[in-house]
Amino acid sequence: MGVYDFTVKTNKGVEKSLADYKGKVLLIVNTASKCGFTPQFEGLQKLYTEYKDKGLEILGFPCNQFAAQDPGSADEIQSFCKLNYGVTFQIFEKGDVRGETAQPLFKYLTAQKKFEGFNKENPMTAILVDALQKNFPEYLEGDGIKWNFTKFLIDRNGEVVARFEPTTDPADIAPAIEKLLFYKA
Amino acid sequence: MVKVYTVEGCPYCEKVKKYLKSKDVEFVAYDIEKDAAARADCIKLTGIDGAVPVTTIDNENYVLDFDKKKLDELLCL
Repeated sequence: MGVYDFTVKTNKGVEKSLADYKGKVLLIVNTASKCGFTPQFEGLQKLYTEYKDKGLEILGFPCNQFAAQDPGSADEIQSFCKLNYGVTFQIFEKGDVRGETAQPLFKYLTAQKKFEGFNKENPMTAILVDALQKNFPEYLEGDGIKWNFTKFLIDRNGEVVARFEPTTDPADIAPAIEKLLFYKA
Repeated sequence: MVKVYTVEGCPYCEKVKKYLKSKDVEFVAYDIEKDAAARADCIKLTGIDGAVPVTTIDNENYVLDFDKKKLDELLCL
């Protein structure tokens, strides 16, 4: 079983086999569907614009499991929602990414790359851990997806090579992407 | 007429609608994901695509956000 064995649906309801992405470097991300931690959309779009011609594809999977609580709102006092519009990478159908109800693709990804802790240098980490402790303490246990914008990096052969937590900014993933795009293993 | 531009699953949109109801303000809510014309109107008004809730009374002044103070000012509550 590998990444290319999964079939998913785009946000337009069209079935898409991940085998169509063979040979590309993939970044698979669970995005907030509308109202949480949205600044990362911008960072992901920048990565996509920069590297799509070199062979990068970003696959966004909106999920509402983390929508009720937005850790970013604590100090940003953002009280509006922004739709996914404005990104040109592929967005898929909304679905769950953790727990029993998770889509098979995300069960696979989390089994391949386990949780290894948050990026301690990111100020977001304290806010996120605090929000999780208050609202979903069980999310801190185990390898399940912790929050919106967990990013899985897949090489040109379909191997899941890295997992970046929500506390890693998209810009900080650029070196790892470049390595897969430009250097042979 | 007061208009509120919204999308489904947006908690702040619900808060605006609830607040207006509590103040007995009559309004029409538009879901800009389902109503392309409303979405175009909303973009024309704010210059931003897809940010909601947006509340307006004259299609000129608007409040983006659930912000009671600004809503009170806009609607003279």
